[in-house]
Amino acid sequence: MSIVLATISLLFMEMLVLLVILALLFPILAASKSLRRWSNSMKSLSVLLGFIIIFNTLLSTATNPFNYSVSLALRLVALMTSFSLFFLTVHPDELSQALIQMRVRFEFAFAMSMAMRYVPTLAQEAYAIMDAQKARGVELDKGSLLKRIRNIIPIIVPLIIVSIRRALSIAESMESRGFGASDTRTYMEKLAFRRKDWMVVVLSLIALLTSIYIRLYVPIPNLSLPF
Amino acid sequence: MPLVEFQDFSFKYYGADSLALKKVTLAIDEGEYVVITGPSGCGKTTLCRAINGLIPQFHRGYIAGNVVVNGMNTREHEVAEFATTAGLVFQQPENQLVTLNVEKEIAFGPENLGVEPAEVRRRVEELIDLLDIEHLRDKHPHEMSGGEQQRVAIAATLALKPKILIADEPTSNLDPKSAETILEIISSLNRRGMTVAIVEHRLDLVAKDASRIIVMDQGSVVADGRPREVLVDDICEEIGVGIPKATLIYKRLAAKKVRLSGVPLSGDELASLVKESGST
Amino acid sequence: MIIIEDVHFSYDGLYTALRGVSLQIDDGESLAIMGTNGAGKTTLVKHFNGLLRPQSGRVILNGADTKDFSIAEIAREVGLVMQNPDHQLFLDTVEKEIVFGLKNLGFTEEEATERCSRTITSLGLEGLAQRSPFALSGGERKRVALASVLATEPRVVVLDEPTIGQDACQKQRLAEMLESLNERGRTVVVVTHDIEFVIEHLPRTVAMANGTIVADGQTNKVLSNDEILECCSLTPPQLTQAARSLHEEFPTFPERLTLLSEVESEVLRILGGENSVIP
Repeated sequence: MSIVLATISLLFMEMLVLLVILALLFPILAASKSLRRWSNSMKSLSVLLGFIIIFNTLLSTATNPFNYSVSLALRLVALMTSFSLFFLTVHPDELSQALIQMRVRFEFAFAMSMAMRYVPTLAQEAYAIMDAQKARGVELDKGSLLKRIRNIIPIIVPLIIVSIRRALSIAESMESRGFGASDTRTYMEKLAFRRKDWMVVVLSLIALLTSIYIRLYVPIPNLSLPF
Repeated sequence: MPLVEFQDFSFKYYGADSLALKKVTLAIDEGEYVVITGPSGCGKTTLCRAINGLIPQFHRGYIAGNVVVNGMNTREHEVAEFATTAGLVFQQPENQLVTLNVEKEIAFGPENLGVEPAEVRRRVEELIDLLDIEHLRDKHPHEMSGGEQQRVAIAATLALKPKILIADEPTSNLDPKSAETILEIISSLNRRGMTVAIVEHRLDLVAKDASRIIVMDQGSVVADGRPREVLVDDICEEIGVGIPKATLIYKRLAAKKVRLSGVPLSGDELASLVKESGST
Repeated sequence: MIIIEDVHFSYDGLYTALRGVSLQIDDGESLAIMGTNGAGKTTLVKHFNGLLRPQSGRVILNGADTKDFSIAEIAREVGLVMQNPDHQLFLDTVEKEIVFGLKNLGFTEEEATERCSRTITSLGLEGLAQRSPFALSGGERKRVALASVLATEPRVVVLDEPTIGQDACQKQRLAEMLESLNERGRTVVVVTHDIEFVIEHLPRTVAMANGTIVADGQTNKVLSNDEILECCSLTPPQLTQAARSLHEEFPTFPERLTLLSEVESEVLRILGGENSVIP
């Protein structure tokens, strides 16, 4: 469904339609309780959006540059929101299981979920290393740019070493529990397509076809901003 | 036939200067609770890994002699083949939890070996119940304390239904209360019939439950027997093994020709022995 | 001298780790800080060397408020040895590792080299001086981390959980080293769970729970108090249990005894002295 929404966003440049699409996206976001995370990432995007609007307004050769720029910005938002919808609603475990069921090798899918699992651990380790080196007088936030870059070494080297040691330790534990032993690995929980899922697929396809039709044959009223 | 048998086994890691294990010969029978101890670098960790096949299959090196576990020689079988016989719990709890929640973690082992999903689910529920970790069911490993993580690690190891549980300093990184809880769990598993081999420095916590203590030094076994006999042997103090304080008092008294009627392993035992002797 | 005055600290404004902690440590003292995980021990000691700054309250080091100094400046006075030595080791040889800490604090090349060899000798690291820290065993790496802090000869040495995973020999060596530091006038602070180590070697104990100090005083008084032990999730050590039990039967047996040598002599006394063989 994300893909469909993204495609539709790309089809249209008219502001009205884009606003409609966004309006559709909001309830979906709200339903998946991801509104706050979405707005956080949009905030970081706002600088880029600002740039797009300003530069396009100044440089564009379209009939109404400001309109055009705002439409561009809106399109970008719609596009990004559609994609992020996917990542905000799908749990990493389900993603990993989906990949496995699409015949990706278990080791790769698992490596992905393990990476996610260890991110907080690694972050904590990095902070601990920074504390340890600061306590020895390493000044991480002072000095010339060159000095500060060199000061990364006392942080990076221990982090790499500690990670390698950790990886070996993890490998021992996994090996002891039969990792990689059998080609016929089983899975306690499998993902299955339910009726709701089929309905979403069908609806998305209908929406896509309708949009293409509208694009080609239906004239859209021009929403204009007074500039 | 013993469950685990070391036959004149020696091992040297690639790139090491000396042997990690020197001609070790010992046997562990079913139902025993063995404590392995010794100063740092004596080979206890290597010994553990030699039981489930990590040595020599995962850690390459030079080997001589054999280790036979449940009839299988570790030279001839993959580590995974030993998974249902020997379960290994490690020192760092965080490095044993590789998935994003407890259910998946416990299921990890059986899934790897192709166990039927329904059976996997059954084992997960059984172990969550046995180890009392229901409240942790959906938690991310990073949100758990060390003691909780170690409990989940034990559950994940037991999911493969091993015959012997080997624990390599499982309480080193835990606070005292969690350490006691974990050791109590291990003891109760042993009382229900699980063979246990545990590497531990804190003898005051494990000596009273152990049926046997093996002391190692520089790759060899220097003492092997019942706790009350091994811990009073002078070799312990010579090589720097921390015997329980109560036992130390017994030894010091014995050196001054005052002998109590038994060897105490805990404060209470010491007190009763002194009372007994004091009232005659 | 370190004075902690009513310090409050919370992480990210969410988790309050210290709630109004006040503490005074005089020069040359030797003390332990104990408590459950999350009681605030590590948070507190990180205030000693400026890694963390109080959100309210003051930290006064040798008469000066630490807020006016950078961590590097405070590091000359307060050395913190962290729990995991691997968090700081990154150079090719043990020697370079020790010299690194010295150069950071402003010592010249000659001074650094000289102090480095002094430290190496006093900690018995001669054989390891030219080896790579990564090739050493866990215990050896801990000693190297310790050496690199001690080389700067700070007036206050703080150790965070130094006894974890150490065997009896290593703990004894550690205890002896702490004693010699104390003899030379340094202040020693040890954060630990190891109650037996504290009883045998550290005369003062500060017990923490839930971000506050629940007890501060002589070790054998603080750690014979059951309520305090409960607060800190500690069980009384073997000898204390024995002493208590014996006190019930022999009222003359001091209940508060905890040192090995003391228990030994008392038991001997009860049993009639040396050479009295019990049938």
